[in-house]
Amino acid sequence: MAAIEPIDLTTRAALPRRSRFSGLVSISVPDRIALTALGLVTAVALLAPVLAPHNPRRQVGSPYASPSAAFPLGTDEAGRDMLSRVLLGVQTTWLTALLVIAIGVLLGGLVGLVAGAAGGWVDSVLMRITDLFLAMPAAVLAISVVAALGPSLTNIVIAVSILWWPYYARLIRVQVRELAARPHLEAARLAGCGRLRLVVRHLLPGAVPVAIVAASLDMGGAIGLLAGLSFLGLGTPPPSPELGSMTASGSTQLLTAWWLAVCPALAVFLLCLVSNVAGDTLRDLVDR
Amino acid sequence: MLSFVVRRLLAMVAILLVLVAALFALQRISPIDPVRVVVGPNASREVVESTRERLGYNDPLPAQYARYVGDVATGDLQVSLRTGQSVSSDLAGALPATLELVLATLALAVPISLLFGIAGAARSRGAGVLRGSTMVLAAAPPFVLGIFGILIFYKNLGWLPASGRTSIPDAPTGPTGLLTIDSLAAARFDVFADALRHLVLPAVCLACVPAVAVGRVLRGAILTNLRADHVQVARAKGLSELGVLGRHCLRNSAGPALAMAGLMTGVVFAGVAVVEKVFAWPGIGLYITQSIPRGDFPAIAGTTLLLGAAYIVVNAIVDVLQAIADPRITA
Repeated sequence: MAAIEPIDLTTRAALPRRSRFSGLVSISVPDRIALTALGLVTAVALLAPVLAPHNPRRQVGSPYASPSAAFPLGTDEAGRDMLSRVLLGVQTTWLTALLVIAIGVLLGGLVGLVAGAAGGWVDSVLMRITDLFLAMPAAVLAISVVAALGPSLTNIVIAVSILWWPYYARLIRVQVRELAARPHLEAARLAGCGRLRLVVRHLLPGAVPVAIVAASLDMGGAIGLLAGLSFLGLGTPPPSPELGSMTASGSTQLLTAWWLAVCPALAVFLLCLVSNVAGDTLRDLVDR
Repeated sequence: MLSFVVRRLLAMVAILLVLVAALFALQRISPIDPVRVVVGPNASREVVESTRERLGYNDPLPAQYARYVGDVATGDLQVSLRTGQSVSSDLAGALPATLELVLATLALAVPISLLFGIAGAARSRGAGVLRGSTMVLAAAPPFVLGIFGILIFYKNLGWLPASGRTSIPDAPTGPTGLLTIDSLAAARFDVFADALRHLVLPAVCLACVPAVAVGRVLRGAILTNLRADHVQVARAKGLSELGVLGRHCLRNSAGPALAMAGLMTGVVFAGVAVVEKVFAWPGIGLYITQSIPRGDFPAIAGTTLLLGAAYIVVNAIVDVLQAIADPRITA
């Protein structure tokens, strides 16, 4: 699952840094490329239905046509255009990964914020629960959760979201506790600031950058896990265009029609690579 | 130290019970009615109800959970809907293949992560290139690596086989079930070489992500430790750079790397299912992937339980090892 180093992040993010926007002016060329790629992938994912030359669920050519000018990535066993299918698959995978991460950050952030801000027994109880979830073999358990709910993309999202939040809870809690010990919070409290206002105005904003960095570093892992579960046959059954299940069905014909498995697999790889590199870039920018 | 180990073991048991509870709850919500499995789809309503009563499915949930825990503890994982055999005997038959694959993965991942971590921290020549290329490799999920591995090393180059554990029909089957060891025991070096060739691709696919993740953490920990005061003292004493690294740095850096290695076993265990599907490797991963399209929940839950329990036990061991490497954390 999430291959991040939470301790590392929090300690470094806690260091004093320059004005919030000073780093953004001088972004190096490789960083620019990484962030542009991130934007490009998101644009492709959002515009996939417009960009796709054909209907991804309809037969438009002869079955097993190899890549050509008419069908740049060939056609599949039912004569459907692979380029259109991969584009729609990119959309599905990218947006569901974003959704899972967003749910994880919101849920985990809420738990971490409440635990860190409340302290005492609330903190203990919430963190014990978090530890219990962290101790679970998340990726393996996800297989059983989806199998019990019934294979579909929605259920994959539910299963992964249930198991994904504890990392963020720990991360945000540490961040909130560190912020709570700072003088500006004491000052706000002395100024008569209410409990809710303290949390929302003075604790939450400080935890947001850490959450964003952690989330962006996790994108690659989330994409890999979602595509992997779909590859195992836990996604929505064909013909719905999902990169994982497309790779799985194509892999049985790897020696005769290589493009069926290679194109979606390559798309998964590119999505993971772009999000990993962009995540690293974002972390460096925030840490500066 | 002893009290730490005892506390950690107690926590492990508690976590295992929660895992069993999770699977018990999932079985409740799964669409498969265990009573129907026993009596068959054509049984009359009276038979179904009487069997339900006899098997205890009308008991209060805590009683059912207690019985479920008892069944699991005694190795009764119910009957697979697909094979018609008990899940535990199915798993026992498939386990050696998976064990061999995981051991091969470990044999690859440990040296790579050490090399990656130490070379990266020592800033030796080529470390940057190594870091860049492995980062690209580690970005790929195991099934993607598998597809490209088969395409390049099997289809195009013809160097490595793409499926199964061996292509020799009369390969020895006992006594350990690990083909590489059994073949050596039977002095069948042709089978040994063949088994190794079959292991290469799946093991590499599984090893990449954990090796890079652990190597990164190790590198970071070594770099932090190299700045510590006691390392400056060791250097001032005139110790060689290698001596400083080996005697004063590695042990302190082992803790975070071990913690990451524990987390990574989860990644490897999930990867086992995917990689065994790609390479038709007849282990428990292939067993669970074949059970998925048939909706064979007892088999899926049983495999999850086995892999999950292994993950929890491995992480308990990792915590104890961490405490041995750095006794400060037992407090």
